[in-house]
Amino acid sequence: MRAVLSGETMKVRHGLNRWFKAWIKRRGPSQPPLTLHYRQIFILPTRFGWMLGALMFAMLMGSLNFNNNLGLLTTFIVAGLASNSMLLAYRTLNRLCVAHTHAAPVHAGQDAQLLITLACNSERARPGLEISTDKQEKLISLAGGQTASVSLSIPTWHRGWQELGRCRIQTCQPIGLFRAWSWFWPESKLLVWPSPAQSPPPLPDSAADLDGELDQSGSEGDEFFALRDWREGDPLHRIAWKASQRHQTLLSREFRQPRSPDLMLDLSRAPGRGLEHRLSILTAWALQAHRQQRAWSLKLGSEILGPARDEAHLQRCLRALAEY
Amino acid sequence: MSKWPALNPVAWTISAFLVAALPHLAAMPVWLSAVVVAACAWRLYAAHAQSGPPPKLIRLLITGMAIALVVIAFGGLWGRRTATALLCVMLATKMMEMFTLRDLRLVASVSFFLIATQFLFSERLMYLAYLVVGCLVSTTALVRIQEIHANPEGLLPDQKDSVRSSVLLVLMALPVALTLFVLFPRLAQPLWGLPDQVMDGRTGLSEDMSPGSISELFLDDSPAFRVEFEGDPPPVDQRYWRGPVLWNFDGTTWTRPFFGDTPTRQFVPPGTQPIRYRVQLEPHERRWLFALDYPVNAPDQAVVTVDHQVINPHPITALTGYEITSNPLFVDMPQLPDGARSVALRLPEDRNPRTIALARQLRSEHPNDRDLINSVLRWFRQEPFSYTLSASPLGRHGADEFLFDLRAGYCEYYASAFAILMRAAGIPTRIVTGYQGGLWQEGGEYLLVRQSDAHAWTEVWLDGSGWTRVDPTAAVSPDRIEQGARGVIARPDALFDLDWIEQIRNRYDRLQHLWNRWVLGFDHERQQDFLSRLGLPNLSPERIALLMLGVLLLVSAPISYLLIRRQPPKAISEAQTAWLRLLQSLRRMKIEKHPAETPLEFAKRVEHMLADRGPDFLGLANAYCRIHYGGQSALTEDFVAQARQFSTRSS
Repeated sequence: MRAVLSGETMKVRHGLNRWFKAWIKRRGPSQPPLTLHYRQIFILPTRFGWMLGALMFAMLMGSLNFNNNLGLLTTFIVAGLASNSMLLAYRTLNRLCVAHTHAAPVHAGQDAQLLITLACNSERARPGLEISTDKQEKLISLAGGQTASVSLSIPTWHRGWQELGRCRIQTCQPIGLFRAWSWFWPESKLLVWPSPAQSPPPLPDSAADLDGELDQSGSEGDEFFALRDWREGDPLHRIAWKASQRHQTLLSREFRQPRSPDLMLDLSRAPGRGLEHRLSILTAWALQAHRQQRAWSLKLGSEILGPARDEAHLQRCLRALAEY
Repeated sequence: MSKWPALNPVAWTISAFLVAALPHLAAMPVWLSAVVVAACAWRLYAAHAQSGPPPKLIRLLITGMAIALVVIAFGGLWGRRTATALLCVMLATKMMEMFTLRDLRLVASVSFFLIATQFLFSERLMYLAYLVVGCLVSTTALVRIQEIHANPEGLLPDQKDSVRSSVLLVLMALPVALTLFVLFPRLAQPLWGLPDQVMDGRTGLSEDMSPGSISELFLDDSPAFRVEFEGDPPPVDQRYWRGPVLWNFDGTTWTRPFFGDTPTRQFVPPGTQPIRYRVQLEPHERRWLFALDYPVNAPDQAVVTVDHQVINPHPITALTGYEITSNPLFVDMPQLPDGARSVALRLPEDRNPRTIALARQLRSEHPNDRDLINSVLRWFRQEPFSYTLSASPLGRHGADEFLFDLRAGYCEYYASAFAILMRAAGIPTRIVTGYQGGLWQEGGEYLLVRQSDAHAWTEVWLDGSGWTRVDPTAAVSPDRIEQGARGVIARPDALFDLDWIEQIRNRYDRLQHLWNRWVLGFDHERQQDFLSRLGLPNLSPERIALLMLGVLLLVSAPISYLLIRRQPPKAISEAQTAWLRLLQSLRRMKIEKHPAETPLEFAKRVEHMLADRGPDFLGLANAYCRIHYGGQSALTEDFVAQARQFSTRSS
């Protein structure tokens, strides 16, 4: 739907959204941790509520006209039920605590999971809470004093920091006549990493090699790497005689160029069409390098991260890639 | 999660519908109620088997057929009964598509409407139970339906909890409901009229009289109306409640004359011994009101006719209260106009030859009208005339048969035969139907007039005293007048003659009377009356509405507080309660425990602040830890006592 909207309407919509958010903010905190109270809770009848209202009106007019007192009493009992159910809908949200929200970063195109933790600070149970974003709705019931979480899927499109739109928490307790709801905005934005390229070119093994020959696998070096079956053409001095005798077969020693301690993933040297494509190739490389447990560094413009090989480094780099 | 709503909420919804529809079903033809019940049974089965709705074509077809059934059952007549039957049947066909929350809610909430429509037919006290049970079941159904919504996995909470919460909901609705009931501005005039054509056959006096037609009325113990008198009630022999006055006789049936609805031009003064009273008239679907002879004024829109009958502009379909004054000493028509005289003397000539012969013979013996009447009454007393409700119907010469052959019958027989005799003798006579007597309820200070008190008597026109009441039945059976029809006739079922049953019935009637008076009789006038007693006379509807809003706020404030007040987590043990109270008392001394502190850390930190009581507190904290964390619950009693001591000393 967003794609269909023209630029103008988008602008108006953004304007309205900003105004709405500012208005809600004036009414009280709108980001977790927050405890809902009367300034943040809104109540309106549901469709069923309006229908019952119409029914009550018909009962009222009929009974008044014929001065039918039992009919009036029935009507007024329904009116009392309705007014109490409004209070009870409000009560279900009142002093409910939205403790925190959390969404782990994902690659663009994946669905992020927004985890919302609700805490019920009183003895009172909070049944039938509906928590929703624009895209998804989940139901949860809290027993008195309980803390529980729901996770909602958030679709992502582009790398960078994505606004997590407003979330709504609502309830139609106890008989579905009134809907009480409240808005809140998750306290942080969602980090969206670039999506890794589907079939990236192999890792650039050293900064120098990035220029020309990319395929370095199988090249000879002077560091012992492994034993392997003898193949025709292997020089004699490579044969591991002692080991061959033990295994009753000819084995050759294989030597490799030692891995460059500073595998440099440089944006300016990465192949690919356009910035986004090169970033996604870099992302794929970074993940690959991390999987191979190699020390690697990332160069984005003038900034160089690493070298390092730990998880934190990967997170830092992915974040830098997302933000670049 | 299954696709269709679970059995339990569906069963509650269907119960809500059936409870609300119960009186309606009882009033329908049996086969039509069977159709409704069958639809509910099918829906229950479908919920049990978790099967879905039938195809749309079948639903349409069955709905069409159901409407046709209603048309057949009520013969195409449109009335309240037809309308409510149609509503019931439509809800029954709704069962076929009651597979979403929305439809379930619709059925459960229309049940409230169905309950309210029943009160168009009867507002008796016992329907209060129907109202309460119906509201409770419908509310429980709505709560259960909401629980399907809140628990999509299908694990519904215990239904006992739902019943409890719906009872609470209804109880908490009562203050608001009662405030609205008392203070909602009432209409002084209806906005639209009642449908004149009504379907409900109610027993009551009919507009005409042919001897033998209303005998079942005398066995009907249901109340016709209740009367409260200002001052003492009139003596028994004056309690003649005037209803339709009949002038025309075609040989078998007495009917009202063409001028029956004409308002009187005679002014009836209150007289020296006016009787003032208030009547609560049960609905009888006819237009007349009952009054003692002779009504001075007509209540509200009603009129007093030339023959002093009080006629309302529309049928009495709900309990109606009116205040009226009667003047028993009034002389009606001292001069009889010729037109009236000729109507009051008209007789079909080819009927009752023996009666006419007797009249001629009596006329020749008694030239004076009063002598003639007295001799006839004496004759009734002396001959073996008897009073019985099991009289046989009369043929072509009804009066002849009755006077000379049968000589057994009830008031209608006597009134009719006497009137024919009088007219044949040249004395203008008319028949008055209505009620006679009534049971004085000592405890309630009101007169209960039952359907079985229905009566018919005559009025003869005499020179000098105008229309004069003559009750031939009284001549035959004085007991009938003293004790009512039930006093004369042994009931076929002796069980109902038991004293204690009679007492219970009277007690119940007193309750019913209070109910009628204070609940059902509460209307625009009573509301104004009530408000002026509170010191707020002559409020306009707008002001009453404002007052209502104010009182509503007052009433709902405590309810809101009860509902929304803070409810902190409950202490899990007695010791914890005492500990929390201890902390509360320290807080008053501005000593606050940080949430992260353990009880012992806190006690050590504040020991010096409490001066000489510091060690005490440390000891208490120690004991609390031992009970709360060490499981030594045997120490609880001591701890609680010491803690209380500590708290009281510090405050």
